[in-house]
Amino acid sequence: MKTARQMDIKCVAVRTSAEPDAMYLSMADIIHEVDDEAAEIPVFLDIERLIAIALETKCDALHPGYGFLAENAYFAEKCHDNRITFIGPSPDAIYKMGNKPVARQIALKHKIPMATGSHGSVANEDEALLHASRIGYPVIIKAASGGGGRGMRIVRQESEMEKMFILASREAEKAFNDPSVFIEKYIENPKHIEFQVLGDMHGNIIHLGERECSIQRKHQKLLEEAPSPALDEQLRKTMGETAVRIARAVGYYSAGTVEFLLDSDRNFYFMEMNTRIQVEHPVTEMITGIDLIEQQIRIASGEPLALKQEDIKLSGWAIECRINAEDVQAGFAPSPGRIEKISFPEEPGVRVDTGVRAGSSIVASYDSMIAKLIVTGADRRQAVKNTKMALDKVWIKGTKTTLPFFRMLMRNHIFQEGTFTTSFIEKELEKYHASSEYEETIAAWLATKLFIEENLSEKKNNISFDQGRELTPWLLRKRLTQF
Amino acid sequence: MKPDKPTIKKLYALSNEGHKFSFTLPLKNIIKVNGREYSVELREDEKYGVHVLWKNRRYPVEIVRTKQNRYEILFNDIGHIFTVETPVSMQRRKVLGTGKAKSTTLVVRAPMPGKIIDVLVRENSEVMRGEALVILEAMKMQNEIQSVVSGTVTRIGVKTGQNVMKDDILAEITVK
Repeated sequence: MKTARQMDIKCVAVRTSAEPDAMYLSMADIIHEVDDEAAEIPVFLDIERLIAIALETKCDALHPGYGFLAENAYFAEKCHDNRITFIGPSPDAIYKMGNKPVARQIALKHKIPMATGSHGSVANEDEALLHASRIGYPVIIKAASGGGGRGMRIVRQESEMEKMFILASREAEKAFNDPSVFIEKYIENPKHIEFQVLGDMHGNIIHLGERECSIQRKHQKLLEEAPSPALDEQLRKTMGETAVRIARAVGYYSAGTVEFLLDSDRNFYFMEMNTRIQVEHPVTEMITGIDLIEQQIRIASGEPLALKQEDIKLSGWAIECRINAEDVQAGFAPSPGRIEKISFPEEPGVRVDTGVRAGSSIVASYDSMIAKLIVTGADRRQAVKNTKMALDKVWIKGTKTTLPFFRMLMRNHIFQEGTFTTSFIEKELEKYHASSEYEETIAAWLATKLFIEENLSEKKNNISFDQGRELTPWLLRKRLTQF
Repeated sequence: MKPDKPTIKKLYALSNEGHKFSFTLPLKNIIKVNGREYSVELREDEKYGVHVLWKNRRYPVEIVRTKQNRYEILFNDIGHIFTVETPVSMQRRKVLGTGKAKSTTLVVRAPMPGKIIDVLVRENSEVMRGEALVILEAMKMQNEIQSVVSGTVTRIGVKTGQNVMKDDILAEITVK
């Protein structure tokens, strides 16, 4: 919406009962109220309703964001049918890349390097066992309509197949309304590298370099950076050209992301293409100086790309930390709550994308993201150093967050060297957070202070502190939210 | 807790990791680390809320929960659990031999609220460390709740299809 405003485009946003004070509403020119108390499905998943709202408010175009319906071909189709411009790729491209077995077949036809796997969906455990013995263990079961790590299971031996197949299929059905799955060779300890592509409706397609997304847990990305410490100019060129070839194969326009796995011998394998703007797109914007949302809007209105491949110059380094309301010490369990205080460093080289402010609630029904902290530096070393400093200036009270994880990560030597793979967090990290002896001692001091106030003080709940202020455990506890 | 004794001169804070910290009463705004003293202050203001000022920097502080003499405190976004003991209760603790050594049964609790999609083990079955016990669905994700120890499942606290709250008991495992 910020980009749209800069382009003098008026924005309409929908207000829901779950988040009536949401921050995104403050950026909209027109707020559309919906009565969703009795709604059976959330408004943001209700295609007919969203289209009706868009027509009622006379919208010319609709931006689907990066969640909910962004990769729904039917939704894009419906927009077209109602003469609303869908800011994204064609329904056909969404369908082809959204259905993984179809995408695999297209990639195969265009000789894109891929991990060996089943051609098409796998019907049952027995068929899965056959494929797996042909491909060789370990294999990975993936949801045909999947993404975001859901409906994925690694199978290391025959005996695990039945259980994992059922789990993956059931999770796929729940998450994507489609239980079908397929099987691929599982690449051990790869790096997750993805390329940003940009295409217009006139057949021009370019790439904007890569993003390194190997810092993930259970296939959920936690930190992304651009460029990747694993790529050199030559490999970047080869992989980038491959990404463009895939996009071309489906006549892609708008912004899209081609995901690859890179093994330790620097072989790369096409994994999937995301036909939407991604959470981590800011790191690419920071090192290319290109506003991807602006490009999406221009492309959707039929403009040809003003940029050529040779115009794309990567400069500096950018790191994005996803600050989520999660309890790092409880294995990243969601930690919903009400944000009491929130502030971020405001300085050059630091960008914060957030939809949350003091008083906002992180509700369990949406995802747990509080903010994206994007920090740049002249090179990787500088970017890591700047990120470390920026993290120390982030102040969030009211909920547990992933901040301790990132603070620890910035001090980890494997992270600093850049040699980590997607198994780094699960295999090489013993703890997800680090606390110094000083910090533990201060916490012990606080616990002791509380004990004294609760048990030993003459006048309970009425303790004065050095500054002459009265501060009681109750006052402290008032700041708390439900954990 | 025993009634107030004005003569208590010392308090101990025992961390979950087994670290012991002692503080002399009346409690001063000072902590000691490696023989050196540092001043700490607990403050509150409109902008930052409750926080600790230490070495000219502010650190956020929250009390997550208190239960009798057990305190969970969030300091600089990291949770710490302490039990605070007086010299008397400390002595009793030693005599009773409470603490970690006594417990050979591990209670597996729900790390988050959600729905039990599947129970993968039965009572009396043997489990290995890392083996999945139940599948808990929360926030659109199916999570395998794994055993962190090897042992025998002595109790299962949930059924398939059941909704659970955070910290509900899922299973108990007796360590071999």
